Amino acid sequence: MALLEVSGITKRFGGLVAVNDLDLSLDKGQILGLIGPNGAGKTTAFNMISGFYQPDEGQVIFDGQDITGLRPDQVCKLGVTRTFQVVKPFPQLTVRDNVMVGAYNRTNDRKESRKKAEKIIEFLGMKDMREMAAGSLSVAYRKRLEVAKALATDPKIILLDEAMAGLRPTETDEMIELVREISRQGTALLLVEHVMRVIMSLAERIVVIHHGEKIAEGEPQQIVQDKSVIDAYLGEVEIDVTG
Amino acid sequence: MSPEIFFQIIVNGLFTGGIYSLVAVGLTLIYGVMIIVNFAHGEFLMLGIYVAFWAWTLADMDPYIVIPFAFAMIFGLGALVQRGLVQRVLDAHPLNQIILLVGVSILLIGLVQFFFSAEPKAIHVPYETAVISAFGLRFAIARLVAFFASMAISFCLYLFLHYTRTGKAIRAVSQSRDAARLMGINVNFIYYLTFGIGAAITAVAGVLLAPNHRMIPTMGQGYSVIAFVVVVLGTMGNFIGAFLGGLIIGVVEAFAGFYLGGDVKIIASMMIFILILLFRPAGLFGRKRT
Amino acid sequence: MTAENPATTSNNPIRSWLKDIFLDWDRTQMVICFLLVLFLALTPLFISSTYYLGIIILATIYAFIGISWNIVAGFTGQLLIAHIIFLAIGAYTTIVLFNTYSISPWVGILIAGVVSGLCGVVVAFITLRYGLKVDYFALFTIALMVALRTLFLKWDYVGGAVGMWFSLTDPSFDKMIFANKAPYLYIALSLVVIGLLVQYRIYRSKMGKYFLAIREDDDAASALGVNTSRYKMLAVVIGAAMAGIGGGFYMMYVTFIEPPQVFNLGLNIEIVMAGPIIGGLGSLAGPIVGALLNKPFAEIMRGALAEGRSGNSLIVYGSFLILTIMFMPRGVTGVLHTIYRRILNRLNPRNLGDS
Repeated sequence: MALLEVSGITKRFGGLVAVNDLDLSLDKGQILGLIGPNGAGKTTAFNMISGFYQPDEGQVIFDGQDITGLRPDQVCKLGVTRTFQVVKPFPQLTVRDNVMVGAYNRTNDRKESRKKAEKIIEFLGMKDMREMAAGSLSVAYRKRLEVAKALATDPKIILLDEAMAGLRPTETDEMIELVREISRQGTALLLVEHVMRVIMSLAERIVVIHHGEKIAEGEPQQIVQDKSVIDAYLGEVEIDVTG
Repeated sequence: MSPEIFFQIIVNGLFTGGIYSLVAVGLTLIYGVMIIVNFAHGEFLMLGIYVAFWAWTLADMDPYIVIPFAFAMIFGLGALVQRGLVQRVLDAHPLNQIILLVGVSILLIGLVQFFFSAEPKAIHVPYETAVISAFGLRFAIARLVAFFASMAISFCLYLFLHYTRTGKAIRAVSQSRDAARLMGINVNFIYYLTFGIGAAITAVAGVLLAPNHRMIPTMGQGYSVIAFVVVVLGTMGNFIGAFLGGLIIGVVEAFAGFYLGGDVKIIASMMIFILILLFRPAGLFGRKRT
Repeated sequence: MTAENPATTSNNPIRSWLKDIFLDWDRTQMVICFLLVLFLALTPLFISSTYYLGIIILATIYAFIGISWNIVAGFTGQLLIAHIIFLAIGAYTTIVLFNTYSISPWVGILIAGVVSGLCGVVVAFITLRYGLKVDYFALFTIALMVALRTLFLKWDYVGGAVGMWFSLTDPSFDKMIFANKAPYLYIALSLVVIGLLVQYRIYRSKMGKYFLAIREDDDAASALGVNTSRYKMLAVVIGAAMAGIGGGFYMMYVTFIEPPQVFNLGLNIEIVMAGPIIGGLGSLAGPIVGALLNKPFAEIMRGALAEGRSGNSLIVYGSFLILTIMFMPRGVTGVLHTIYRRILNRLNPRNLGDS
């Protein structure tokens, strides 16, 4: 049984079907990529899995438990957390306090949460910045902070929503290494990503969605050769594949 | 209740409501463009009525002649408040915006009290108590004029917003600040203009009240609260909503006053307000919540 | 790594204890607070005028009410504007229990806290159940205040439009009626000390971090496992209960209450909002620093300018609020914090304490 089983989730906004009958499955420690053109419904799918939207139809099963329609904080308590495409730091709090909010997910003790936060901050190479207000970080470090906060909640799955968009190539490489390391430590990841290079080098399997529906699924090499994918999508991001 | 009384209450309600509409249109315009709740809004009405009083004592001017002067004066003041104060807190915490505007409100009340004292004042015009009777109903002239003038001003403002270049620019800014800026609209100028217009038409509402209303420097606060109610009822930032909401609240208050007595009529609008907030927070004219 | 600061290696216990405090801005703020409390406690020794003592007592009460509001508005960022509702309910509870049921204010004030806390539950429940957004929540509380004013005016059980009062002729400890001002001051100060400690405990705990996270970004907090509704309600209830207790004591000090006086936006600004905002909303020292500036300032204006033309004090007070927002958006404490960091930087650039 997979760690995360999403079956048939559907979300409609008025007349528009944002996500239609989507199935996903993710095993422990696995990295699954979710790609598709802008407006394909990737973020909506994320919102349904993480509890921000209630699916109109379908089920989300995590670790054998039905988590459909739970609140984000309940989902997080169970071990599924997410980052946001438009990063959401707590700008007036220090980096350490930001991460501590995440760490308090598993403890009530200040010292314990602080220790854990320090550890994660060090893991992400942000030790020198821990006293800085999160609002004053650069884009690259805000993206990292987003990952740090998620990691601090002790998740079994992290949903990463475009964690590398807008980064420079070297920054992207560092982030890829970090994600790989997180996965190596046993955390499963669901990646939404625009930068094809990232998806290709990280994902073990890829799901392609278009207009809210799954049009292909498979290993990265299969996906780039899939006719329907190329038609629907890859033509549009050719530049990213080479860059 | 006889039909005469019923219709008389509706007429009275609409007459009060016309003023509410004008005040609320000013508030909703400011909110729509700058997303700021003007806590000093009622004070501009109060300033309007005192301008009328001042002109009357100084030059024996009829309030209706004062309207353009009051409009110009308070427009200038409003634009100045925007430029000098509100502009600098547009991105600040909403609480800071509220305190700033409350400060403006206290300052304005203080200034008026300084020049005119806290004693109630009134002006006297020949048509003060004149009444027309028709269809078995009584129409106080001053209130009749106030009602139709409010309608006319709201209508002109509507035309201005929809059919002039500047008006369209104001609406563009209210839809997207950034897009408007990209299209070459001077957003800051639009802000000064909007605050000026919002304050000025509210002041005109005050002038229209002048012929048969007593005035005290703190009278604006009650109108602020009413304007909040109306604007939420009619959907924040929605022009037509504020206009109709004002009339609705006027009529509701008139009936509540008839049944409950004048001193508790406000509870009716408050109850409507709370119910709207809870069950239809987008207001009567807003999109349904998803 | 630069060389270790010599002070770190020193074994002097007092020195390391001082470092513990002063390298930590939160603790430094608490020191400032307690110095202010100490100063207030000593004022009866050198101020004999009951007029000035009265102002100091009111300022102290305002500080306590300010703390209660700071927890809601400053920590969780909820726009609970008409917080004075809870103060009024606490005051009314205390006086009804005292006048009608002869229950000692010492007990009455605690019951007032419970009653106001329960009202807080109701207000928070409505807000959260119907998901009122920021501006709407602010307007909702104002409407609620106006509705309650009208209700209380018509409600004979609480004295209606006549109001409620008691006589000071028969001083006794049981009735919390004293012949001179000093006992009132010490009761108010005890409340402030308790308020400061409660505020500090919350701020440093998990609850406090969650409160701040909610203020900064609701969605991000909930993605990290924060039950935002629950914590928002918790903040409102704590704030309401404290305001109820403060209101009960306020009643015993001012001896008279009527609906237009307490369900009043003007008093709400003066008693609830001005202090924390001038002092620095969301900071630990803000409410007390602000209250000590705001109340005496307002009173002095009222006193000194009463001789001149009417409206003077409003002009000055209004300008004061405007200038504070324009030039110290983070309040006096914000300015102090900047100075503090500058001093620390100068002493040792690596020793930046908690901010």
